[in-house]
Amino acid sequence: MNRKGDPALTPFMQSILRPFTNIANAITKDRYKSLKLRLFFYIGTLAALPLIGIAMMSYFWVFNILKDEFRAHLRWQIEDSQRSIESFLQEKLSGLRFLANAYSLNELSDDAILHTVFAKFRKEFGEIVDLGLINSEGIQVSYAGPYHLKGREYSNQDWFQEVIIRGVYISDVFTGYRKMPHFAIAVRKEIPGKHAFWVLRATVDVEALNRFLSSIQLKEYDDAFIINKDGILQTSSRFHGKMLERAALKFPVPAQDLSLIDYKQEGGGRLEVGFARIKQSPWVLGMVVQSTASSRMIELFTKDVGTLYLIIILVIIGSIANSIITSSVVNRVQEAEQRREAAIAETEHTSKLASIGRLAAGIAHEINNPLAVINEKAGLMKDILQLIGDFPNKEKFLSIVFSITDSVDRCRTITQRLLGFARRMDVSVEIIDMNETIKEVIGFLDKEILYRNVRLDMNLSENLPKIESDRGLLQQVFLNIANNAIDALKDGGTLAIATGKKDEDTLQVIIGDNGHGIPKEVLKHIFEPFFTTKEKGKGTGLGLSISYGIMQKLGGTILVESEVDKGSTFTVEVPVKASIDLRGL
Amino acid sequence: MSWTKVLIVDDEVEFAAALSERLLLRDYDTKAVYNVDDAIAAIKQDPPEVLLLDLKMPGMSGIELYRTIKEFNPSIEVIFVTGHACQDGDETIPREAFDCVMKPIDIDELTKKIDKAKQSIIKK
Repeated sequence: MNRKGDPALTPFMQSILRPFTNIANAITKDRYKSLKLRLFFYIGTLAALPLIGIAMMSYFWVFNILKDEFRAHLRWQIEDSQRSIESFLQEKLSGLRFLANAYSLNELSDDAILHTVFAKFRKEFGEIVDLGLINSEGIQVSYAGPYHLKGREYSNQDWFQEVIIRGVYISDVFTGYRKMPHFAIAVRKEIPGKHAFWVLRATVDVEALNRFLSSIQLKEYDDAFIINKDGILQTSSRFHGKMLERAALKFPVPAQDLSLIDYKQEGGGRLEVGFARIKQSPWVLGMVVQSTASSRMIELFTKDVGTLYLIIILVIIGSIANSIITSSVVNRVQEAEQRREAAIAETEHTSKLASIGRLAAGIAHEINNPLAVINEKAGLMKDILQLIGDFPNKEKFLSIVFSITDSVDRCRTITQRLLGFARRMDVSVEIIDMNETIKEVIGFLDKEILYRNVRLDMNLSENLPKIESDRGLLQQVFLNIANNAIDALKDGGTLAIATGKKDEDTLQVIIGDNGHGIPKEVLKHIFEPFFTTKEKGKGTGLGLSISYGIMQKLGGTILVESEVDKGSTFTVEVPVKASIDLRGL
Repeated sequence: MSWTKVLIVDDEVEFAAALSERLLLRDYDTKAVYNVDDAIAAIKQDPPEVLLLDLKMPGMSGIELYRTIKEFNPSIEVIFVTGHACQDGDETIPREAFDCVMKPIDIDELTKKIDKAKQSIIKK
C-alpha cells in the first residue's frame, strides 16, 4: 500500500499558525534609550530644583544684607565728611569771631596790625587767602593779602546784605576779582552803643574743601562733590562737570538734611546717591556710588574662582552619578522585560502546542467515526464482491472498492498521528543507561545508514550516571532528530552522535550532521506543529514538535544550532532525574 | 471449533451493522446493538463470549458499561473500540480489559484479537 502522508493538511495548518509567531521582538532598543534620557532629565531636574531654590534664596538674603550694609556705609561716610566740612567751616568762623572780639575796630583798621593778625591767623588756621575789614557803608577799610583791594566797595553786593541780616555768612565758590576759586566767610561785629557795625571778611582757598573730599575713599567709578542750591558745582567732580559749572545730574538735589537715593540708570545699572546739607553754608555734599550691592555680588562670585570650579566639578560628578544610576535602572528594567518576554514566548509556544494538540485530537476523533463507517461499508462491499460469482464489471467494482479502502487507510495514518501528537504521553520512569538507549536507536537506523552510505561518528562518554527517565519517549526523540539528520545529509555525509555531562544534574546528547543546514527564518519555526520543509507526503511536520513536547515533559530541552550548507547540531538536554511536567500536551 | 459469539455495542448504527455483517461473513456468530439498555438486555438473555464495546456512548460510557457487565458476567472478554487513541487520557482502558482497537478498524487485526480472546476463554 502506498502511504503518502497528509499533503493538504500541512500548508493549511501552517497558514493558521503563522500569525502567532514572532510576537516577542516588538520592543525596540530606541525605547530604552529615550527612557534613559527621560529618567536622566527627571532625576537631574528633581535634584537641581531645590538646589536652585536655595541658591536663589541665599542670593537674595546676601544681597539684602549687602545692600543694607552698603547703604549704612555710604551714610556713615557721607555723615563723616559732612561733619568734617561743617567743623572746618565752624572753626574758620570761630576764628574770625574771636578776632572781631579780641581786637577793636581801630586796631584792625590799621593795615600794619591787620597784617600781623592775618599772618598769625593764617599760620594758625591755614588756607586763608586774605583778610579784610569792611565798615557799615560797605567800604573795605583795611586789607591784608596778596591783592590790592583796599577801598573797594561792597555795599550793593548780596553777601554784604546777608551778613548784615544774619551776622554770619559763607559764600558760594567764586573766582571774583582774583580769578582763582575760593569762597568768602564773613562775620558782623556791632559797635556798642551805636547803630553801626563792621564786618570782618576772609576768603578761603577751595583746596581746603577738595582736601576733605579726597579724604573720602572712592572707587573707580564713584564720585564726591559739593554743589550749591542752584546746582552749580563748588568743587570739581569726576563725572558730573567742572567746578563752577552746572552739574550734569540726572536726579534732583533734595532739600533734606541727609538723603540716600537708589537711582536706576537708563542703561540698566544702579547708582547709590547720597546728599547731605552742610549747615550755615549754601552747600550740599553729594556722593554718587556706582558699585552697588548687585555689582558687589557679581564681584564676589567672579573673584572667587575656586567656588566656581567647585560648582562645576559638583555638577559634573552629579551628572555622572545620575547617568550611572539611570542606566543601571534602565538596564535592569530592560533585562527584566526581556526575561519576561522570553518567558511569555516560551509559554506561548507551549500553550500553542497544547491547543494545537487538543484541536488535532478533536478533529481526528470526529473524522475517525465517519471514516470507520466508510471503512466498514467498503469492507463489506469487498467481502460481498469476493463471495459472489462473476458478473459484468466485477473487477472494476473491486478496484474501486480497493481504492476506497486504501484512501481510508491513508486517512487513518493521518488521524492516528494526530492522536499520537495529542496523546497524553504516559511516562513510565525507569533507570536507564543513556549510551545503551542511544545504541538501540542506532539499531533502528542501521539499514538507512548503510543504504545511504552515511558515516556514523559515535562518541559516547564513559562513566555517565544512570538516569531516571522514560526510555521509549527518549528514543522517540533521538530517532526523530537522527532521522532528520540523515534526511539532511547527502550520500556519504557524516552523522555524529555524542553523549556527555553538562553538569551534575543534566546529561547532553548531541546529534549533529554536516548536511544542508537550516536557514534562519526556518529555524524559528522548526518546533511548530505541522511545519515541514520536506517534500509533500514525506513529513507531517509533527516529529520535532512532538519531540519538543516530550523533552518538556521530561524536564529537559532541545537546543539547535545550524548554519546553511555547514550542517545542524541538535543538543538534547536530559535531566538525570526526570521531573515530570504533568501539564502535558 | 464452534462459532465465536460476538456482541457489538456501538451507537454508530451504520458502523455496527456493517461490522456485524462482515464478521458474520467470516463465520462469527455476531449480533449488534446500538444502545446501553439493549446491550445489557442482550447480554442477560444470551451472553456473548466476546464483546466489542464502543468507548463513548450516550447514556453510559463504555467504561461504566464494562464495569456493569463484568459484575454479573465476569467471563465475557471485552475488546474496546475507540475513535481516540487506545491509551487516551481520561478514559483509560481498564487494565483487565482484553484489548483495544482503533477506528477505522483493520478487519484482519480485529479477527485476530477476537480469536485470541476466544483462545483465552478456552484456556480458562
